[in-house]
Amino acid sequence: MDKRQHPSSFQQLEKLGEGTYATVFKGRNRQTGELVALKEINLDSEEGTPSTAIREISLMKELKHENIVSLYDVIHTENKLMLVFEYMDKDLKKYMDSRGNQGALDQFTVKSFMHQLLQGIAFCHENRVLHRDLKPQNLLINSKMQLKLGDFGLARAFGIPVNTFSNEVVTLWYRAPDVLLGSRTYNTSIDIWSAGCIMAEMYTGRPLFPGTTNDDQLQKIFRLMGTPSERSWPGISQFPEYKPTAQNYFTQDLRIILPTVDSAGMDLLTRMLQLRPEMRISAKDALNHPWFRDVNNQMRPGQSSQQQQQQQMVAQQQQQQAQQQLHAQQVQRQQQQQQQQMMMAGQQTGPGQPGYGMPTYQ
Amino acid sequence: MPPARTIRQRATNNENDENEGTTRLTRAKAASLGVAEDVSAPPIKKALAEKKSTNSTTNRGAGQKRAALGDLSNVKKNEVVDAKENRKPMQAKPGLVSKAQSAGVQKSSKSSSNRPVLGAKDANKTHTSSDLKRSASGSGVMGREPKKRNTGSSGSQQSVRSIKEEQEADLENQPPKSSNIIPLEEPAPAEVKYEAKAEEIYAQEGDVKQEIDEGVLDLDEQDLDDPLMVAEYVVEIFDYLRDLEETTMPNADYMSHQTFLEWHLRSVLVDWLVEVHTRFHLLPETLFLAINIIDRFLTCRVVQLDKLQLVGITAMFIASKYEEVLSPHIQNFKHVADDGFSEDEILRAERFVLQTLDYDLSYPNPMNFLRRISKADNYDIQTRTIGKYLLEIGLVDHRLLAFHPSHIAASSMYLARLILEKGPWDATIAHYSGYTEQEIQPVFKLMVDYLHKPVVHEAFFKKYASKKFLKDPKKTLLKEESKDRKQTLLKEDSKDRW
Ligand SMILES: Nc1ncnc2c1ncn2[C@@H]1O[C@H](COP(=O)(O)OP(=O)(O)OP(=O)(O)O)[C@@H](O)[C@H]1O
Ligand SMILES: [Mg+2]
Repeated sequence: MDKRQHPSSFQQLEKLGEGTYATVFKGRNRQTGELVALKEINLDSEEGTPSTAIREISLMKELKHENIVSLYDVIHTENKLMLVFEYMDKDLKKYMDSRGNQGALDQFTVKSFMHQLLQGIAFCHENRVLHRDLKPQNLLINSKMQLKLGDFGLARAFGIPVNTFSNEVVTLWYRAPDVLLGSRTYNTSIDIWSAGCIMAEMYTGRPLFPGTTNDDQLQKIFRLMGTPSERSWPGISQFPEYKPTAQNYFTQDLRIILPTVDSAGMDLLTRMLQLRPEMRISAKDALNHPWFRDVNNQMRPGQSSQQQQQQQMVAQQQQQQAQQQLHAQQVQRQQQQQQQQMMMAGQQTGPGQPGYGMPTYQ
Repeated sequence: MPPARTIRQRATNNENDENEGTTRLTRAKAASLGVAEDVSAPPIKKALAEKKSTNSTTNRGAGQKRAALGDLSNVKKNEVVDAKENRKPMQAKPGLVSKAQSAGVQKSSKSSSNRPVLGAKDANKTHTSSDLKRSASGSGVMGREPKKRNTGSSGSQQSVRSIKEEQEADLENQPPKSSNIIPLEEPAPAEVKYEAKAEEIYAQEGDVKQEIDEGVLDLDEQDLDDPLMVAEYVVEIFDYLRDLEETTMPNADYMSHQTFLEWHLRSVLVDWLVEVHTRFHLLPETLFLAINIIDRFLTCRVVQLDKLQLVGITAMFIASKYEEVLSPHIQNFKHVADDGFSEDEILRAERFVLQTLDYDLSYPNPMNFLRRISKADNYDIQTRTIGKYLLEIGLVDHRLLAFHPSHIAASSMYLARLILEKGPWDATIAHYSGYTEQEIQPVFKLMVDYLHKPVVHEAFFKKYASKKFLKDPKKTLLKEESKDRKQTLLKEDSKDRW
């Protein structure tokens, strides 16, 4: 990071977006001509530098990854804080509105974006950071079709065991059911739920669960995913916001509202949209899901031909394995159900049994 | 009082947005609630002044400090007033100054060459403005508009917290039976030097990432069904934290370039912050981060004696914003420093400290490592409680500055297990701590040496001498459990976060 840049080092161009606590402008570095995004945070608060900004800066300086927007510089002036980011063409929301078919993206693009999104998320989680505000507006796309995580204003580092945090996180539509139920002991799975919502939205061009209030949001989720009970979700009645409802919905077939998703994609989506946080797939495992087989096998520029050959071999193996894996997953899920039943019957589950929600792929 | 209490309290009080800063105890609100308006911890200067005079009035000094301690909470109203009255003549800086007077004054003669960054306030009034300006212009900081005070809406939660704080403080401030026997002596001048230089140790160490060796149990496997243990990432996360350690180390020798300070003043400051931290009911992580901020800042900047407390309080302010779900309002920090600095001064210091550290608050908290090791110790509550106490020696004893947080955590658990006769430091615990018995020795020896010395860090000593930290929190937690979140709490209980 350059030391002590001055705001005048950048020519301020048009406004790119406005968030709850910041305004983002397009900018140009007067010296290099490079385009940047300038996020201006007003410091009129009597509390000084907002904690959101402190965390956003500290965490983004740590997280250097091709699927996370780079923070170049911080300019702290008398009454505002200016964060200088790499310039991205648009956020995913705008991208969908401009490119998509009524907002819907083609399968190839969805898969590429999902892969990049999950890589960004996995990197955060491996580096003990929760993003906590994943939504299309906070994902940025550049001209090279790269997707990067932006807006770390709600992000924070976590310890192990994960501490108790605020449940006022994540924009309502992308908020996980456990958080909606008032949980304050969520973990990395909170970001996975958002990713699932985003995946569905990329396919349809419309938000999956556009709730209006906390309760309405839960209703919309349950209407599709089925109303959970103590049986399907042991402990659910203990959540602070849990209200037994008159409406008991059955689980709907996601394929009805998402007809264009192939079966492997649907399998992955279902694993991300598990109501129970401990059942949700991790970003790491999601990246190894058979749905990404072709993406993972894509040759990357700059690789040696030997590597490419190796990859092709692996690819063939993976193709063969993919079917087996899907089958194995089904078996595993059955095992999980059995496990749950055993748990309900009060039996001990030892470490030797397969951990549910944690399928391992090759 | 069990440590769990604090956690539960936080859980019930911090329903709000993280660090929204909207919930604060205004003076008016406090008054209407009958809460002692002054939420300050005992004034550091007074403590310092008293300590200074220990030779003549050891017992009396301790007694007076007691009264000042009562401030926040308990005791009788008039006593509080007394304490406040007593404090007045002490005034801001002199206490701190007096403590180190000889050294400070002596040293200040050569000060002109070293650029003091946080300019003097009272003592060096003439220098102040220029110093401040210099630091200000260097960092792009100019004057600030006067702040408007938002006395609006939601003071209630903070108020609740303060009331509870008061009750808890009551309990904490049981008459200190031991106060007469706490030797208020200066630390013995002869200090144990570490056998091996810390840097050498880390240079030899190489890549700390470890495969699971033979004879090491894979303890993460059993956590696969516990989301809070993040088992699928735990290995990467700890590898990463070990990498980070190096980047956030202060210069262990920074005092050699501090014109106006001495280690002994740092020690007083840290001890005071331990007390502030306890009073504010902040997370353990916050204290460790705050002290790391101070040490890294002092690594980079020369600080005048009468600004040392400002650095301390600002570090705690920043650390709270980073770590806490609900960080205390700036007013609390101002009050706790006995109104020695204005809010504006704290805010400017905040900006300056953040810029100096390049906004890097990625310090891998030793608490993380301690919990990790505790896992290999079956989360034994006794070991961990003692371990946590020992871990804080790493805060108060500057000789431990040279060692990585993970190293200090390993040594703390090692010593705790030794005290409790928990058996050998086997392959499994060595693996999860990242250190062999042999590697632990240099830190271990310093800790033992610290414990052999007379108590100099009163707040630190008292914190752990109080019942709160010796009681079995398990039972109480179960008792205090309310209807909701039972499961979570039960789970937390087994590896609770004290
Ligand atoms: N690096 C960038 N390049 C291009 N556009 C950007 C960039 N960063 C942000 N934007 C645009 O500005 C908008 C707001 O940015 P950002 O989400 O960081 O601000 P915010 O105030 O934190 O928003 P929120 O209300 O979600 O908290 C984004 O949705 C996006 O449209
Ligand atoms: Mg945003």
